Amino acid sequence: MRLSRPKAARVLVALVCGGLGAACDETPTAVVESSLEGVSGAGQSAVVGAMLAEPLVVRVRDASGAPVAGQTVAWRAAPGGIAPASSQTDADGLARATATLGPAAGTQTFVARLGKDSVTFAVTARPDAPTALAIRGGTGQVGRIGQPLAAPYVVEARDRFGNPVPGAEIAWQAASGEGTILPAGATGPGVTAFFLLADGTGRSAVVHTPERVGPNSVRAVVGTNQATVRFTATGTNTPMLVATVPIAPNYGIHDTFVRDGIAFVSAWNTGLILYDVGNGVAGGRPAQPVEIGRIVTGSAGLGGARVHNAWWFHNPVTAERRYVFVGQEGPGIIGSSSSGDIHVVDVSNLAQPVEVAVYHLNGAGTHNFWMDEAAQILYAAYYNGGVVALDVSGTLSGDLASRELARTTPGGATTYVWGVQLRGGSLYATDMLHGLYRLTLTGGAFAVSGGDNVPERYSSDLWVHGTYAYTGTWGTRAAPGNAVKIWQLPATGAPTLVDSLIVPTIGTVSDVEVSADGRLLLFSAENGSGAGIHLYDLATNPVRPQLVAAIPVGTGVHTATLADIGGRRYVFAARNPSDPALLIYDVTGLP
Amino acid sequence: MTLRWRAAVSVPLTLAALATTPVAAQRSPLAVGAHAVLGWSTLDPAPGGARANAVAAEQVFAMAMLRAANGLFRVVAMVNLEGATMPDGVLAPGAFGEGYMDRRHPHTYLHELVATGMLPGQWVRASLTVGKGFAAFGSDDPMNRPALRFPVNHHWAQILERLTAVLGVRAGPLVVEGSLFNGDEPDAPDAWPNAARFGDSWALRLTLQPARGLEMQGSRARVASPEHREGSGPTSWKWSTSARYVHRWSGGPELYGLAEWARTTEADGFFVFPSALVEAQLRTGPHRPYVRLEWTDRPEEERTLDPYRSVRPHLDDALLGITRWRIQTVGYGYSVRVAGTTLEPLIEVARASVGVVGGGIFAPADFYGSTTLWSATAALRVRLGTPHRMGRYGVLDESGDATAHSGH
Repeated sequence: MRLSRPKAARVLVALVCGGLGAACDETPTAVVESSLEGVSGAGQSAVVGAMLAEPLVVRVRDASGAPVAGQTVAWRAAPGGIAPASSQTDADGLARATATLGPAAGTQTFVARLGKDSVTFAVTARPDAPTALAIRGGTGQVGRIGQPLAAPYVVEARDRFGNPVPGAEIAWQAASGEGTILPAGATGPGVTAFFLLADGTGRSAVVHTPERVGPNSVRAVVGTNQATVRFTATGTNTPMLVATVPIAPNYGIHDTFVRDGIAFVSAWNTGLILYDVGNGVAGGRPAQPVEIGRIVTGSAGLGGARVHNAWWFHNPVTAERRYVFVGQEGPGIIGSSSSGDIHVVDVSNLAQPVEVAVYHLNGAGTHNFWMDEAAQILYAAYYNGGVVALDVSGTLSGDLASRELARTTPGGATTYVWGVQLRGGSLYATDMLHGLYRLTLTGGAFAVSGGDNVPERYSSDLWVHGTYAYTGTWGTRAAPGNAVKIWQLPATGAPTLVDSLIVPTIGTVSDVEVSADGRLLLFSAENGSGAGIHLYDLATNPVRPQLVAAIPVGTGVHTATLADIGGRRYVFAARNPSDPALLIYDVTGLP
Repeated sequence: MTLRWRAAVSVPLTLAALATTPVAAQRSPLAVGAHAVLGWSTLDPAPGGARANAVAAEQVFAMAMLRAANGLFRVVAMVNLEGATMPDGVLAPGAFGEGYMDRRHPHTYLHELVATGMLPGQWVRASLTVGKGFAAFGSDDPMNRPALRFPVNHHWAQILERLTAVLGVRAGPLVVEGSLFNGDEPDAPDAWPNAARFGDSWALRLTLQPARGLEMQGSRARVASPEHREGSGPTSWKWSTSARYVHRWSGGPELYGLAEWARTTEADGFFVFPSALVEAQLRTGPHRPYVRLEWTDRPEEERTLDPYRSVRPHLDDALLGITRWRIQTVGYGYSVRVAGTTLEPLIEVARASVGVVGGGIFAPADFYGSTTLWSATAALRVRLGTPHRMGRYGVLDESGDATAHSGH
């Protein structure tokens, strides 16, 4: 801090100033060799615009170190203020000034000068209290209702000078009925309001989950003046494609079975492929399926695995989840012949499935399955073979011919059963030529009612929920277009047709399913201009489905299934060749 | 449609006109030709029960044949423009294949482009042909035969538009050919053979030419997944045998006759499709009456909302049924030459009866409204040059009757 200057220079300054009679600021009252040093006031802190609590003090000493009185010290401030502009040293050689901070938060400096000597005082200017908020991102997004938006809402708290205010207390609140919020990075259930302290940059961020279709808003408030900003997102319930999993074009996917976050994809000659889509075993999720394992089951002399469908058996008796039943679809003539066996795959090690048993029915091939898991019975649609019930209790190995419990051909010699489903103790079966049957297995034999109730179209898949059944139709028979048939299921006896949902632009309704809560009807459309996925609201009236979404898929969808994973609802759809893929849509919130 | 006809006719004609050598020079170093048929057809009943009428430019092609080194090196090329002139196919009772039903499909734009190298010899000669073209299997392509409408058995009795290599050996009147090729058939006019599948299919043909004008052949082929391009479809095993006879009276009429039998099995014999066919033609002066009798089984596949199209690619191997087609066809053409161009007005009438073989859900009476279908065609054929017999390469092309027997 002590600064020495050549004596000649000081003399020269004194002469020049004195000779011109000018009022030189730095004109010493006497020409002495002196130095300037800071004494106190540096390092103070105050909010922007405020006066520092302590004065800034410097001392002037001569060459011997003795205080020099009567010296004029000049003070300079930028951008704040300082008073007086200059001051005289007292008997102790001290000169003082009072500083006022400028508007910019951060380090500010003040300078004392004596001749060429100067002392700089650095002080800290703190932001003032928050009086405003600025949106720094996140507003204006479009997102699915019930699902966190992709990007957080971010605000910045500012004081009256526009300085960010770290630590500002910001109140966040979602508008009533318009969703929930969580601090960015936090997990758990969302809430509708909370306070959040701004980070070191004055910012605060939350993630919004819209609740309703249309605008959903969240506001942030700060300061005693209640400065407010509002974020808005548009909530939508339009299905959103979250993943596309390409499948080798070996006829593509025929069916997908999803249970406990694992998707069993039946990919024809590529085999059965297992994906973690939320189970956690391989870190997969619906938006990012992770393959766990795969198996190419036996060809049974049919020229390929021809994996068509699968069912993962959760045995409540043994608590085992050991077996997957795989349907093989061989060549056939609809209404007349078919081929293909049931292959049993041991998935004790999901990464290394092993085929352990097979069931073969001469002269017929299997199609869709359903299980009475508590009774350990597998029901299999068997096309011209009708319906077969198999005992699948205990250990399964080798030929399962001896496991056959019962078999029936509900449509007689021309039966051609597409699918079966157990509900309320009855087994419902769709026969392509004869329509919907109700079967009851009693004492090793099936009692049959219904049938011959869809004469104008070929029936396809079915789904039963509560006291209603929904069946699809296939191809072209006598009537144009295709349909979803809606049935009332009385406590006993044959199903009663109550309505038909005609879809003239669809070549085939190839898969039908109702959500577990009964609110949503899903069916897939194989071809035609309406090819794709169709979703209907059943919540309003289960016999009057209302279209809520149609997802066009140009090459058609062979099958589709619903799965609830992690509190959200997804559709897993099999896109047809020539570019086959497993398509996964988030349909949470529908209807 | 008018523009399409114009393009269809004008392009081959232009190609022919640009050739530097006269047309119809079968043994000239370069021979070129062009061909088109513009016709009106009716099918009654058509799918749905009503009568269907259509105008189409079909068999629109241009060809070139080059011979070099005294015929030891040969190139055959044919460009077919049906993909542009009849993208929806052409009405034809019983026709099927490549996603078309009751309409004959258009061929690929590059129908044939093969190169042949000959190995000369005194008693035994050999040839190797490579390129895109016919496998060594079956009888003549229908475009080389009298009737305009293709027979139902086109896909049972010929294997074409493949990436193929044909090795042929001739010993006197006997020719043995073996060929490797890709099993996939085209699925669009601009489709190219799946080269990765070259060699997954083979065919053998034994041809005997014991006397002038008489030719007999027997063929066997294994065709892997013909209807599924990536190769997951069932394999076809095919038989074909035929006898062909052409007799020309000196300075007088010419008699042509063909009898053939073919059989294709698919999916290890799960599906069986037999076929038998006889046809004859008498050409005398400008007159060309002809007749064809056919008996062929065809698969009934799931159709799209377009009743003339079936689902492609296949989603499984299920059929709606198998139908048996008995078709009697008669026709008559009258040729005139105008400025080096042959013009042939022709009429052709066919009666088809269709029944069901075995079970299935396809009911012809429901689908067509009748089990008897009538077809009629009135057309004008335009030809420059002499088309070659397609699919006959190397040693099979060096003797016997090399002339096609349509209106050509």
